[in-house]
Amino acid sequence: MADTQIYLDYAASTPVDARVLDRMREVAEVAYANPSSTHAAGRLTHEIIGRAAAQLGGLLNVDPATLVWTSGATESDNLAIAGGARYRAHRGKHIVTMKTEHKAVTDVFETLAKEGFEVTWVDPDTNGLLSPEAFTAALRDDTQFASIMFVNNETGVVQDIEALGTICRERSILFHVDAAQAVGKVPIDLGALPVDLLSLTAHKFYGPKGIGALYIADRADCHVEPILFGGGQQRRIRPGTLPTDLVAGLGMAAVVADGGIEDDLKHLRQLRGILWDGIRGIDGVTLNGDPDGFPGILNVSVEDIEGESLLLALEPICVATGSACNSRSQEPSYVLRALGCSDMRAQSAIRFSIGRPSTREEVEFAVRRYRDSVAHLRELAPEAAA
Amino acid sequence: MSADPYNSEVRALFAAPVHAGVVADGKAVLVDDQGIRVELAARPENGQLSIMRFRAWGCPHLVAAAEWVCCHYEGGPVSALENFPTARIMEDLAVPTEKTGRILVLEDAIQSLGCSLSH
Repeated sequence: MADTQIYLDYAASTPVDARVLDRMREVAEVAYANPSSTHAAGRLTHEIIGRAAAQLGGLLNVDPATLVWTSGATESDNLAIAGGARYRAHRGKHIVTMKTEHKAVTDVFETLAKEGFEVTWVDPDTNGLLSPEAFTAALRDDTQFASIMFVNNETGVVQDIEALGTICRERSILFHVDAAQAVGKVPIDLGALPVDLLSLTAHKFYGPKGIGALYIADRADCHVEPILFGGGQQRRIRPGTLPTDLVAGLGMAAVVADGGIEDDLKHLRQLRGILWDGIRGIDGVTLNGDPDGFPGILNVSVEDIEGESLLLALEPICVATGSACNSRSQEPSYVLRALGCSDMRAQSAIRFSIGRPSTREEVEFAVRRYRDSVAHLRELAPEAAA
Repeated sequence: MSADPYNSEVRALFAAPVHAGVVADGKAVLVDDQGIRVELAARPENGQLSIMRFRAWGCPHLVAAAEWVCCHYEGGPVSALENFPTARIMEDLAVPTEKTGRILVLEDAIQSLGCSLSH
């Protein structure tokens, strides 16, 4: 196993499930027409897209008509936040999010700040959680929009979306949830959750890259302004010809996930337990985030170890030091710093993320490799100057 | 989008740092600067660096560069420590320009070792 690549970076992306791939191939061969065309071939494509919407709607317990296809979570986040805040600008200029959100969220908030919106960046507690009290304290009379992620991509921290959403409903605040790490992995019932906008992407739950969706609740004053222009597709919210095979793939990924989430979670809990039990005894190791977070992610730091060297020493294990989108940055993770981690602790952080195909043997190998790598790098290091 | 940040030489030197360690009965210097630490140690015999070792806390480029300099100087004259091949290390190990400072810390360690051995 030593020379074989061991993939433990499922929070960055997942392999396409074989059933999803079969469906995409099948659709790509027959449904090449433009779904906006009214001829028979176009109607076939339109029907396939409708079926995928029903499949995704089934996973989330929503009306398929509330789903807008996008190119992925980044676009969904951009559309929800920029489109939602601008649409509701008449209600106020104050918008709220957390410091630990993904760049696809924080960068949009920064853009809106340049447009004149006032942003409040809420700090999490040291476990990464946002309490309803801390969230409430950040709200003002003119707060019109808030965005909180479901499962954190770096730490696996799961926010209490129901409680936070309820607070927003009570104040008529449009509530967006970045659920890129949650959809298909944890149960989500949008029929019950007080969520107005929810972003997702297929490639985080064994679907293809390049396709995602934004859920827009069918409620009064819940709407987004478009951020792309060029056609009337998708109720003028998101124009562009849809990639039918990718949409069908997302639909099939939703079918595969639906009904299998509990089994997946059980599998992830078991493997995460083996991983954490195997490395928690190493001197100086600490867990970053909430111990009761999403079991597919384990973020750990270790004292006196340089993170980049640890990452290379861990090969052939594929893990991440920060979020994959930003992993070439030399900067310590801003998410971990928001949790109060020192730069030293943040720079040694490794994110293990386990997936459906992960095995006990892979995780046990990762434990051995981590222990050996830490021991080797400590042996290599001189004492710090007095 | 993510090209390998390490060339084959960095990978080889990092994976098998045969000069890692300390030198009994030798002289050692430690430079702790810019968030990294490098310790170089050597034993001179008849004006030659008979053995040279390093310990380092830093990124893979630093570890590889420390191993590289030990290979480069070991067996040669102590006086060679007066010259540090910065450009050659940067090129051989394809060190990113933003990490130049780390190689300069290694240069400080080599110069410091040279001074230590010449006194």
